[in-house]
Amino acid sequence: MDHDDKEKGSPDWFADWIKSTADLWLSAAKTRPASDSNVSEGSQPSSASYHGKLEEGWQALLKTWQTSSSALSSPQILELILKGSNALPESAMRMTRTTWDGYFQLYQMWLKGVGKLGEEAKAYSFEGLEADTFKGWAEFYEKEIQPLLKAPPLGLTRFNQERANEAIDKFNQSQVAMAEFLHLLGLPVEKSLRVIQEKIDEQVKEGKLSENFKDYYNMWIKILEGHYMTLFKSPEYIKILGRTVNVTEEYKAAREKVLTDMLQFLPVATNRDVDELYKEFYGLKKTVKELAKKFEKLESLTAREASHESA
Amino acid sequence: MNQPKISVDLILAKMAEDVGKSQKHILKSKEVLLGPLDTKIASTPHEIVYEEDRVKLKHYFPLAETRVKTPLLMVYALINRETVLDLQPGKSVVENLLKEGIDLYMIDWGYPTRKDRYQGIDDHVNGYLDNIVDFVRHRHEAPKINLMGICMGGSFCTMYSALHPEKVKNLITTVSPSNFDTDKGLLNIWAKAIDADLIADTHGNMPGDMLNMCFLLLNPARLMIDKYVGYFENVDDRMFVENFIRMEKWIFDSPDVPGEVMREFINDCYKKNLLIQSKMELRGKRVDLQNITMPVLNIYGRFDHLVPPEMCEPLTSRVGSKDTENMCIETGHIGIYVSSKCQKELAPKIARWLKERDGVERKDFAARPAKAEPKKETGPKSRPSPKRTQKVVAAGSRS
Repeated sequence: MDHDDKEKGSPDWFADWIKSTADLWLSAAKTRPASDSNVSEGSQPSSASYHGKLEEGWQALLKTWQTSSSALSSPQILELILKGSNALPESAMRMTRTTWDGYFQLYQMWLKGVGKLGEEAKAYSFEGLEADTFKGWAEFYEKEIQPLLKAPPLGLTRFNQERANEAIDKFNQSQVAMAEFLHLLGLPVEKSLRVIQEKIDEQVKEGKLSENFKDYYNMWIKILEGHYMTLFKSPEYIKILGRTVNVTEEYKAAREKVLTDMLQFLPVATNRDVDELYKEFYGLKKTVKELAKKFEKLESLTAREASHESA
Repeated sequence: MNQPKISVDLILAKMAEDVGKSQKHILKSKEVLLGPLDTKIASTPHEIVYEEDRVKLKHYFPLAETRVKTPLLMVYALINRETVLDLQPGKSVVENLLKEGIDLYMIDWGYPTRKDRYQGIDDHVNGYLDNIVDFVRHRHEAPKINLMGICMGGSFCTMYSALHPEKVKNLITTVSPSNFDTDKGLLNIWAKAIDADLIADTHGNMPGDMLNMCFLLLNPARLMIDKYVGYFENVDDRMFVENFIRMEKWIFDSPDVPGEVMREFINDCYKKNLLIQSKMELRGKRVDLQNITMPVLNIYGRFDHLVPPEMCEPLTSRVGSKDTENMCIETGHIGIYVSSKCQKELAPKIARWLKERDGVERKDFAARPAKAEPKKETGPKSRPSPKRTQKVVAAGSRS
């Protein structure tokens, strides 16, 4: 992308972001009065006034955001903002833009995720695991950052650089995989809480609400257990588990290589040195034990023959 | 909109009542937790009669007159420790077997370190286990001994019995996997998804904590939340706390598993299912289950999620022996050894089964036994017996 394109394109993505953020908060705001009105109908007056104050604060905040966002999205203001940034060196701008693109991509996915919050929770179902967020980040990383780490290093320390870059690369990959795995592990908790909420709502409607907190806990733990069982057998989980373990192990191996490089300058044995010794030691010990067994058998055979002869 | 009727007064009254109870509960809990607690495990008196590297052989002092002449060697898994079989007095498989008049030995695999990373299944089966079997055979001047394997230890015993049938009189497997071609049990599914070579190459040994994490993840709702909720609910009950802590001690006492064992067990057993097909090879020799011609008692738990019945049952139909028996107990993987109900069932059944097959066999032993290390005494010896003294002398003479 040349300089002109960048100047023309920039206001669009910035305005897009402003607009999508405003849309998000507006849609969120629309859901609030309905839910709050349910609460305030059956609540005490003090509770209603508390919710009223919350509502007022919420509306004020939204108004401020709307004002500022509409002002920011006007072409003149945007031009002013971007005018200053044009002074930055082009490389810095490119980096900023790349990072921003990645962030924006993620941001769009999160928005979709937020949009799903109000949806009904189906028990024991893990379709659409919001993996797109991690997939998006992984794609962005592979496309924009990984090639930089894989660029061929030069000079005397080229192999050291290569190993260091590999460790950084694997570290980043393991972090993404681990984040995705942990997110996955948290899903049953999130889902079970939503399901239990619905079950309690049903009980409230039927007037069968229990007075004992333990009943709710037992209900929740059973739902949670069921959710975990479903998740753990799902192909998505197994795939992510395998990937997380593999990438983490690869990172450990890459880190070990860097450590070995560093330790070579010190008078200490590295894991590689020790493992080589252990392997030799293991082989020798096995051979000695086998020989000792054979020797014992031979010895007893000779003793037997000798006793036969003497008899 | 119809508003639900919530009996706030009842809920508040219940809360007030609960607060009162909680105060008493906390005071009692403090007394229990800060007072003396007996949480010792593996306390049945024994001596160490054989040592090789990190591996030790425990011999338990008799608690009754010997009713089964052939000694029984128990082989535990390399995952976790054998102490679960002797968790507490009154709830101990070891104690119950001794009371049934069984002369009992148990292998303690110890704690593998980085130097043990190259030890594979063969080193354990044809190495340590074979040496120990030889030691016990010569100590008792018996050509054959009884073998009892637990979990992975049962798989080892199956392999051993197929390779050395002339040394095994009766084989007992408990919750021991032999058929891995099933999707029942999460471990089966997960083990197929991970790269065992990568783990073995990078970690050396499989870290015990990693394995424990894996086991906790099998049911996080129960094992990481509900279990501790139960604990805090009963924390004012001294006996409950003592039992709970004993179990915690056992669960989190997890030695690392030698890298090669883990690699072979996952690749050859979980992924290729070689054992049940008699295609597994150790030291170039095929582990042919048809060679298992001695009586086989195969015990497993119906609700075992780690080694489900599908992994255990097929063994008896694949061995060469005609005297086989499957015994399914209504319990889980650990319940078979620790639940009060199973305690009454397991040891008497094993003792009865062994007694029925305990023909006396004697053989002149020309070959010398495997060398025993200098004997070390461990464990309490509150119940010495003349018989034990005699055995200690015998062991000493071989060391």
